[in-house]
Amino acid sequence: MDSKRHGTVDEPLLRDEAVVALPPERETFNGHKPPVMDPAQFHAASEKILAAINKVIDGKAEAAKLALTVLLAQGHLLVEDVPGVGKTLLAKTLARTIDCKVSRIQFTPDLLPSDVTGVSIYNQSSRQFEFRMGAVFANIVIGDEINRASAKTQSALLECMEEHQVTVDGHSYQLAEPFMVVATQNPIEMEGTYPLPEAQRDRFMARISMGYPDKLSEIEMLETHQAVSPLAKVTPVVTSSDVAAMIASVQQVFVSQSVKEYTVALGRATRDSARLRLGASPRSLLQLLRAAKATAALDGRDFVLPDDVMSVAESVLAHRIILDRKAASSGDTPQSIIRAILGSLPVSQDAGAEHRGN
Amino acid sequence: MSAAIAIAVLGTALSLNGVFRGWAWLVPAITTVCTVAMTLAALRALRAHSLLTTLGGLVSLAFILAFTFFRQQSIAGFVPAGETFDQFGKFLKRAGETLVSETAPVAPNAGIVFVACASLGLVVVLIDALAVPLGMPATSGLGLLAVLVFPATIKPQGAGLLGFLAAAIGFILILGCSQWFAPDSRLPTDNARGTGQLKRSMVIGAVALVLGLLLPLAIPGFERGTFPVGSRLNPWGVSNGLNPMITLGNSLRNPTGDGRITYATSSTAPVYLRSVTIDRFDGDTWAPDDREASRRLGPGRMAPDYPLPSDLVRQLTVVDTGQFTSPYLPVPYAPTAVNGLSGRWSWDPETLSIRAEDTNTRNQQYTVYSALPTLTSALLSQDNARPTSISQDFIQLPSNVPDIVKNTAKTVTAGANGNYAKAMAIQDYLRSSQFSYSLQAPVQGGYDGNGMSVLADFLEQKSGYCVHFASAMAVMARLAGIPSRIAVGYAPGHSTGVTVAVAGQEPLPEFEVDARDAHAWPELYFEGVGWVAFEPTPSRGVVPPYASEPASAGSPSTNLHDENLTPGSSTPQPSASAVPPLAGPGVGTGTSTGFGTVLYVVAGALLLAVMAASPRLVRSAIRARRLKPPRAGQIRSGGGAGPAPSGDGPALAWAELQDLATDYGIPPVPSETPRHFAARLRNSAVLGASAAALAGAADETAADNAGQQAVASLAGDFERQRYGPPGDPAANGAAEQANAAAARIVAVRAAFRRNASWIAVLRADWFPPSLMSRWFQLLWSPFHWLGGILAAAARRVAASSQRLFGSIRWRR
Repeated sequence: MDSKRHGTVDEPLLRDEAVVALPPERETFNGHKPPVMDPAQFHAASEKILAAINKVIDGKAEAAKLALTVLLAQGHLLVEDVPGVGKTLLAKTLARTIDCKVSRIQFTPDLLPSDVTGVSIYNQSSRQFEFRMGAVFANIVIGDEINRASAKTQSALLECMEEHQVTVDGHSYQLAEPFMVVATQNPIEMEGTYPLPEAQRDRFMARISMGYPDKLSEIEMLETHQAVSPLAKVTPVVTSSDVAAMIASVQQVFVSQSVKEYTVALGRATRDSARLRLGASPRSLLQLLRAAKATAALDGRDFVLPDDVMSVAESVLAHRIILDRKAASSGDTPQSIIRAILGSLPVSQDAGAEHRGN
Repeated sequence: MSAAIAIAVLGTALSLNGVFRGWAWLVPAITTVCTVAMTLAALRALRAHSLLTTLGGLVSLAFILAFTFFRQQSIAGFVPAGETFDQFGKFLKRAGETLVSETAPVAPNAGIVFVACASLGLVVVLIDALAVPLGMPATSGLGLLAVLVFPATIKPQGAGLLGFLAAAIGFILILGCSQWFAPDSRLPTDNARGTGQLKRSMVIGAVALVLGLLLPLAIPGFERGTFPVGSRLNPWGVSNGLNPMITLGNSLRNPTGDGRITYATSSTAPVYLRSVTIDRFDGDTWAPDDREASRRLGPGRMAPDYPLPSDLVRQLTVVDTGQFTSPYLPVPYAPTAVNGLSGRWSWDPETLSIRAEDTNTRNQQYTVYSALPTLTSALLSQDNARPTSISQDFIQLPSNVPDIVKNTAKTVTAGANGNYAKAMAIQDYLRSSQFSYSLQAPVQGGYDGNGMSVLADFLEQKSGYCVHFASAMAVMARLAGIPSRIAVGYAPGHSTGVTVAVAGQEPLPEFEVDARDAHAWPELYFEGVGWVAFEPTPSRGVVPPYASEPASAGSPSTNLHDENLTPGSSTPQPSASAVPPLAGPGVGTGTSTGFGTVLYVVAGALLLAVMAASPRLVRSAIRARRLKPPRAGQIRSGGGAGPAPSGDGPALAWAELQDLATDYGIPPVPSETPRHFAARLRNSAVLGASAAALAGAADETAADNAGQQAVASLAGDFERQRYGPPGDPAANGAAEQANAAAARIVAVRAAFRRNASWIAVLRADWFPPSLMSRWFQLLWSPFHWLGGILAAAARRVAASSQRLFGSIRWRR
């Protein structure tokens, strides 16, 4: 299935079903509330997933953990890096470790929105229009080189990402839960591409750069990946319902008032910074806190620490903010500015303050 | 920026006010400074190279100086030409002469004003170069200091509060501007940071200013020491005055007493050496009148214009002036001939003062022949007529004689008949116990110097030194109709114990005088007798026999040989004979201080001990309070409506941990989460991270591990309490929890103590930084507040001025 070069849609047909309007808090999983996983199970499951990914991708434990975080926080991931560092491999491995439906779209300039969302075709035998589902109807959608597709097609995918539903011919089709888009993007070779506009980049919860592996990992990679694709050995370690339960328990993570205050202060600091033209949006803060909750849960805690916010802030915020021209020319990067803000933003930890969480 | 520099320099220049007489110098100074500053600003606006800007500033300085001072000699009025440089040399020479021969306040002649303007302009260029291209605005204070040094050393009152304030404010302005405008634009102009630094520098500047103003008031004894108030460093030697009246006070206050003059005389008593007389009592300051028209050259043979009695006592005095530098020659009165001088000298037949024409008194050795009538009170009493044979100069008074002087003169001389009796009445009045001798009182009272207003102040305060006494007597004598003048020179000084051999004479006893013997005394004219010296100053000099009160006949003879003639008597002590009740301040206090001092010392030591120990005591108290387990009555079980009060336990323990770490040199950073802080603490050397890694002795690592674990669990507890969901089940055993926290703190502290150096332990015990910094914050908070207000105001001013300038530029 990886050999498909064009927009490929190889999903089974589904009968069109009317979908109730999506509640704002997406706690539904096939109509009923999933059970909350107990901490020990949660920990074991997450460890299994990470171990599986790390077996395939050497020396990228951080990236793997972040990808899992995004999955558990119900976000979407944008992987941006030069070719050949394992962007697609990461996406595929994550997808394979979970026993769920995976589809992959190779974005090209001639890919059409209907290739992504699906199309209604006339069934001659039943004399009815049938909805033929697009590639987006899966638990994990891998969008390769998303910037190569036209803006129209990108928007189609992005709408699905935001709303977790597809609307074709007046019918809304609910997407599967959990639903996660892992898009990759190549920052080199930008000619002939359609770079994601800021508004659409904002839909991705986090952007990560894979980066080159270190020396030992690279040597090991050469040894192990010589003969067979490591992907072949990956078997699912958790079921999709497990993942849903994990997502539900992430939602139960407690966020204290001071952490909320810290998050808001962080957002305001990016908006007030003289070196940024565009600061973090309220949506990005929402996603930041969700990612922080997932991080806390992965760390085995049932409450969020400022550390959790800090640890994901760079990945969650860096692709949403826009540098001032002066800052850009003086060699600052979004990452460096967020680091600087984190380094100067006070964390209220004076013990004298009353317990504001109550 | 340039405006700030100009303001700073001009403000500092204000303190030159007392150095020059009047304000005539101010206009050229302002034009020079403003022109140079504007040129610099313009060049900078044109984005000229920084070196070029500085050069341009220098060129503009040359132009404006040429324009102001050598307009005729310059090409087109401002380009310096060859002739300009000749004139320039002349100016320099003149300024040099002024420097050597005059003392503050000097007349603002073209030479000295030229030099002042040139140096102010140079200072502007220097400060600009330091502040802008070199990026060291703080060092520009040196330039301001250079300006400030002159008035501080030369003016009798010091630089003055106004000048100092202006300089300081200008300096702060420079610092502030250098922050606002980020002259190099090398740094990204981050607003928050800029104002932060501005605020900080404002605060520092303001604090320094306040301290500088308050400290001298707070510290006792600041008025004494090397440079007591009113005495100033005089780098050119001593008493080098065209106007000796001004320098006299300084000379007297000079603690070192340089400018030593030695003389040997054939007189039976040591003599007064007289340099010059002052006989015109008009104007703001009294100065000698040189009477250029009637001066005669060559003091080889001198004869006064007025008649003298026939029986004269002739004396011979050999004088060596040494380092003493003045245009006026100190000679005993009344000289008939002076031999052995080098250079050209002239003398005034009316006053017999001898002045240098092209040299000065430095290193002169000369022989003075003087003649004085034998004066007795009987002889002086004979004269009651109005003097006729001398100039009216000596009897004239300006119209502005204050009433207090007139009234005093009238009252004092009311009962006296005859000129001599009147003179004696005035002298007695001034020597009476109402008056005290003080070098400091006039300075503090603001009437140091001379002039009619000073005289009025003196008669009111009744405290001063010889200048005041002498001028009071001289003016009052004129009011009583007796011609008078003030002689300025030296009191007799003291014997060196050496004799000097002079050709044709038996060995003469040698005496020496120095700056501390500088003196002023009145001379009154008696028809047929000539000028007669009086001594109205209590405790100084000697009262001549003829001028002594017949009633107190016991004293005059001893007075000649009293302690003023013994070595080391320069300190003004009341001489027992003439003015017994003259008790100086501080004499009477000596006895009663004994017990008081001991009390003070003990109290001070106690206070010091408490102060030294207080950080430790307070710190321990805080720790104990934090770790105290909550009392049973206060514990509400976790099921209650509110949060369990025990929830504060971890927070308090955490605060204690933070303070403890601060004490041992690892202060928490505001942007750190508890977890980060704990991690940093555990990795630090004071918790034995390295020691544990090196696997030292087993018990050591065990203790360190205990510390490590304690930190980890404290952090965990605090995190849970602070960020965790409320209603924590762990909150139930509050007392146990508190005990556990206390135990952990103890473990951490033990680990700290073992790993830290003994100095750090000592500091943590006695000067815990956690506490000290909090105290300092408390101390500084008013300044922060003040600084904030100042910064806001300054920002508003800057913004409005920028708007103004911006609109001007736009219109053009």
